[in-house]
This record gives sequence, C-alpha cells and structure tokens, in this order.
Amino acid sequence: MGIYDELCGGIARRTMVLFFLVDTSGSMAGSKIGAVNEAINDIVPELRDISDNNADAQIKIAVLEFNSGAEWLYPNPIEAENFEWDYLDVGGVTDLGTAFTMLDEKLSRNEFMSDVAGSFAPAIFLMSDGQPTDHYEKGLAKLKENNWYKNAIKVAVAIGDDADQDVLKDFTGNSESVLTARNPEALKKMITFVSVTASKIGSQSSSVEFSGKSSAPSKQDDFVEQIQDFNADIFDDDAEIEW
Amino acid sequence: MNTFEKGTKIKLESGDSVEVVKKLGDGGQGIVYFVNYKKKPYALKWYYPNKLKNAQQFKENIVNNIKQGPPTEAFIWPQMITKNQDDSFGYLMDLRPVEYEDFSRFLTAKVKFSSVSAVVNAALNIVNGFRELHRCGYSYQDINDGNFFINSESGEVLICDNDNVAQYGDNLGIAGKCRYMAPEVVLGEKHPSVHTDRYSLAVTLFLLLFVSHPLEGSRTTCPCMTESLEKKFYGSEPVFIFDPENDTNRPVRGIHNNAIKLWPIYPRYIQEAFEKSFGEGLKKENARLTETQWQKLFLRLRDETITCGCGSEVFVDSEADAIQCMGCGKTIQTPLFLKVKNNQVALYPKSKLYKCHTNIDSDDFKEEMGEVIQSKSNPGLWGLRNSSNTTWYMTTPDGKQKDVRPGGVVQILRGIMIDFGKNRGEII
Ligand SMILES: Nc1ncnc2c1ncn2[C@@H]1O[C@H](COP(=O)(O)OP(=O)(O)OP(=O)(O)O)[C@@H](O)[C@H]1O
Ligand SMILES: [Mg+2]
Ligand SMILES: [Zn+2]
Repeated sequence: MGIYDELCGGIARRTMVLFFLVDTSGSMAGSKIGAVNEAINDIVPELRDISDNNADAQIKIAVLEFNSGAEWLYPNPIEAENFEWDYLDVGGVTDLGTAFTMLDEKLSRNEFMSDVAGSFAPAIFLMSDGQPTDHYEKGLAKLKENNWYKNAIKVAVAIGDDADQDVLKDFTGNSESVLTARNPEALKKMITFVSVTASKIGSQSSSVEFSGKSSAPSKQDDFVEQIQDFNADIFDDDAEIEW
Repeated sequence: MNTFEKGTKIKLESGDSVEVVKKLGDGGQGIVYFVNYKKKPYALKWYYPNKLKNAQQFKENIVNNIKQGPPTEAFIWPQMITKNQDDSFGYLMDLRPVEYEDFSRFLTAKVKFSSVSAVVNAALNIVNGFRELHRCGYSYQDINDGNFFINSESGEVLICDNDNVAQYGDNLGIAGKCRYMAPEVVLGEKHPSVHTDRYSLAVTLFLLLFVSHPLEGSRTTCPCMTESLEKKFYGSEPVFIFDPENDTNRPVRGIHNNAIKLWPIYPRYIQEAFEKSFGEGLKKENARLTETQWQKLFLRLRDETITCGCGSEVFVDSEADAIQCMGCGKTIQTPLFLKVKNNQVALYPKSKLYKCHTNIDSDDFKEEMGEVIQSKSNPGLWGLRNSSNTTWYMTTPDGKQKDVRPGGVVQILRGIMIDFGKNRGEII
C-alpha cells in the first residue's frame, strides 16, 4: 500500500540514558530496599510511555548496584520499552568509590553512550543510606572530569538521616538536588518524581525561555526548580522519621 | 503539586462547577483532567501553582481568547475559565476524540498515515489553521509536536494547547523547544511572533512529510548533544540537510532513512519550498513562506495526486507524457486535467473536486463537489460525477450544451467545458 505505512521506523531519535545507582549494602535491608524495588518497578510503564511518545529521544535505562564492590545489572542500557526491573537484594558494605569509577568507565562513547544517532546528556540518579566505606574521593574526582557527567542531570536521594549528605552533594554539585527520604512512602514518591521528571527534562530538546533575562535556563536548573517545588509539597506530610 | 482526586469539585468563574473524573496527561505547564460539566465530558487544563511567570496576565489572555473565540473548528480552544483555587487555575476545553492521535506518535512511527492523501490533507489542515489564526491577529508562539492531534485515516487535524496563543505584539514569556524554534529565537535575539511561527510551521510540515528533521544530518550526529550544541545546530549554524549549495549536513543512511527515502518522491515545487524555507528563510523572516503560499502548494499537490489501480498513490506531472507507479512499477499515461481558474486537477478514477475548484470565491478545500468515476462494464470509460447540489452546464467541443444535474456524470473527454455556476473549467 502507501509509502507511509511501509516506513520501517520513525524520525531519528537520540538516546537519553537514565542511570540508577542503588546502594544495596546490608543496611538497606527491609523497608528501604523494599520501597526502592516497588517504586522503580511501578514507574517503568510510565517511563515506557514517555519514551514511546517522545519524538526527540528514546529513553534507555542502566542500573548499577553497589555494596562490597559494584555491579552493572545489564551489560548495556536497555530501551524503556523492553526494560524489566529485577528486584535487588542486599548485603555487604558501601563501596561508593567503586561505583563512581565504574560509572566513569561506562560514560564513554565506546561504552554505554555509543548510540549512532547520538545521545542527550544522561540523567544520573543515586540512592544511598550510609557512609561510603571505601575511598570514594578518587573515583569522584575522576568522574568529575568526564564530560558526560558534567552535562548530566544529577540527583541523589539520601535514605534516612545516616546517609552522608556531603558526599551526595559533592556528587550532584549542589545541595538542592539532594532529597532526604525519612520513610518508605516519601522514598517511593521521590523515586517516582525524580525518575519521571529527570527523564522528561533529559529526553527533550532543550528549551528557551523569554523572561527578559538573557541567560537561558539549563536542564539541570530546570530540574532543580522542579525538585524544589516538589520538596516543598512533600515536606509537610512526610517529615516523620520511620526507618 | 498533588493531583486532584476523583470527585474534586472545581468552581468556574461563571459560578457553576465541574467535577474531576480522572487525570489524562501532564506537560511542562500543568495537568489535563477528564471532567464533567453539566453532565457532559470536557478536558480541564490545570496549571502547576507558581510555575507561570505572570499568572494574572496569562489568565487574562486566556479570558480574552475565550471571548474572541477560536479561529476555526480545528482549534481545541479554551471555553471557560475557573476561579482561582489552591494557588492556581485552569480552563475547560473539548476532549480530543479517540480517533485522533498525538503527532509525536506519527513521528515515532507508533501510528502511521493510511495514505499520502491523508498526509497532504494533514498539511493542508495545519497550514489552514495557522492561516486563520494569524488572520485573527494571533500568534501561536510555541508550535511543536505536542500541539497536534491527527486522524491517520483522513488527515483531519486538531490544534491543542492554545493557552499560549497571544495577540499580535504580546508575548507571554513562553518556553519552546529548540528543535522547533526559529534560529533568532533559539539565540534569544527575538521574541516569538508571526514570523517565527512561520519558521516553526515549515519545520512541522517537513516533519510531517519526511518524518525527519530538516536540520538533522551528518553534522548533528555527534555523540553528545549538549545544550550548547543544540544552540549551534538550531540557532547559530543551522544547515538544511538538502541544501542545494551546502552538502555538509546530508542525511546519513542507517540513521536518517526516512529523509533519504521520502525526499525524492515529492515534486520539485515542494522540495523548492523547503529549500527556500531552510535556506534564505533561516535568517530572513520575509523569505519564509506564508500560510497562503503553503496552502496553494499543497492544494496543487493534492490536485496532482492520483491513485493507481494497485492502490499506490502517484504524483503526476502535467509536463511529462507518463509516470511510473512506485507501488507496482506500471507505467501510467498522464491523464487529462480539469483546468479551472488557479488550479489544474488530474482526472483519474477517485480524484475529487472541492468547493475551491468549483467556486472561485471559495478557498474551502474540504467540501466535495465532484468525483471521477470509472464505468464497471467499460473500465476505459471515465466520468466526472456532480456530487454538489447545484446543476452544472457542460459544452462539448462541437458546441452542444447539456445540463449536469446533481448526481449526473460528465464523460471525460478533451475539450469539454463545464460551467459550475461560480467557476468554469475546461478538460485539457
Ligand atoms: N483536550 C484534550 N483532550 C484529551 N487529552 C488532552 C487534551 N489536552 C491535552 N491532553 C493531554 O494532556 C497532556 C498535557 O497537555 P498539554 O500539552 O496541554 O500540557 P502542557 O503542560 O502545556 O505541556 P507542554 O509544556 O508540553 O506544552 C497531553 O500530552 C495530552 O495528551
Ligand atoms: Mg503547553
Ligand atoms: Zn501501481
């Protein structure tokens, strides 16, 4: 029949990789890892929709878990369309430095960022409930020189009050992009919000705004603004510590 | 902001209220709900609190647009405004009917057009919508793939998200996506206007026809598309992928397959319109095609599209003797044409005449007035059926005159003249 129903594919889309960096050390046991597993599993269909209906970019997902050492859950980022969340188990210590080093290795056009049509800068989402047990400084310093990291949307959730906020702030580059989850409900809401918002902003052609000021907003700024609104909303109902 | 629960009541400025049924979707500015108003279903767009730069001005603009009314039926226009509640407000509009799909789903090939005619109709409908919008003194400001709902069978188009529409000269401080915006807007040198709308319209039409972006080729397939590179590719150094004089940004096989496949299919006058839009038109506002110019081009394209017996559509060229069908490879003799003032319609079974052909004062390209039919017993015998409700008058080459009543048929023979009442045509 017609030439249009014979087209094999749509418009050339870039790729936006959403990275989940999840602390699966022993202290995450119980409701913490439970909330993480539930929330990410629940949000996958929505990420699929965002990718499906997006002519600017497709979304792929990569997952790195760290405890005593770190491990990529899939050999390559997986299209949101085909992604299924494997529930994570816990045990071991918090080798965040190893995670940073391994992330740095994959943030390369020869590794995870190899899409032929090109990529948008990734969104990197770190979740942790404790103090790094290794020398994370070296890994982080190396990561900070990586251009993909520099351009990425970065966000972290501190799970409970024992998490090392300073490390997380160091990772995101600002304090606004670090949220603190004090109970499972809040954690689930944060994971949902962060995954969706970072995916939406990260996977769109960047925007230009006319507010009279000359500097255009960057994706990270845009993201921070949304995070602050969200934080203001959630703060009242979820301030109780429950872990 | 929390989403409204089912059953939440929201008060309109009129004093009535609507009841939330469910959430339909969300976007950069707000959430859209399915609501009931006086037992009838509507869509309610509700803004995120504190997100709009100047909420009061924004609201006044919508109220004003409600008062003015939509430019055409194609606009899902704001109909009623709500009172302020929970630090924000919203407006009521019609729901999108189910047979319409998001334009972005056509771009990602999740939905496909049933025919070339449907694509050309969609182009005509989009162009016409903006023509009428601009004639009413509005500019749209933020044209992008999220603004159109399209029927894949007919090419009917609904234009949504009309809250950013502003009167000439006004500016609401809208954020738009680089990929759709005029270079001078990407660079922050100018505010959106009718002229920048025209650029975005050309991008939209290119996306529609070629399912690829006019500025995305070999130059832009860099590994990491940063925001500063986007500014460069869409703002400071844009290069059209089919620029006749600059081949530095050609589509790449394996990545931009649609552009490579679809561009050669279209006639030169369509290609030239895009060469101009993304050549001179990148920098010069006045070099951009107006909606009226686009409308003429797409009407011509539709007039010259015929359907081969195999079902494939073919663009005929009145200059050439014959053309080859892309579907079955068969050679098709160039058919006769009906020449009316301003247009020339190829007369091939299934070809249609519209009011803009039979009435010189009309630019209605939707209302059907005639159709070419083929005799079942003698497939070589073609006729033009009068599907209007007025009588036509025909004159044969030897001067005989005859009435063609509604439902009647004129045999297609060179030299026949038809008087449609408000226009005249000749078969050539
Ligand atoms: N009239 C409608 N009927 C049904 N669904 C609608 C209607 N209007 C909008 N929607 C749905 O709601 C979603 C959000 O709407 P809209 O694009 O207007 O939001 P927005 O905040 O202006 O987004 P953006 O910032 O991308 O323009 C759309 O994706 C669309 O699917
Ligand atoms: Mg909008
Ligand atoms: Zn054929």
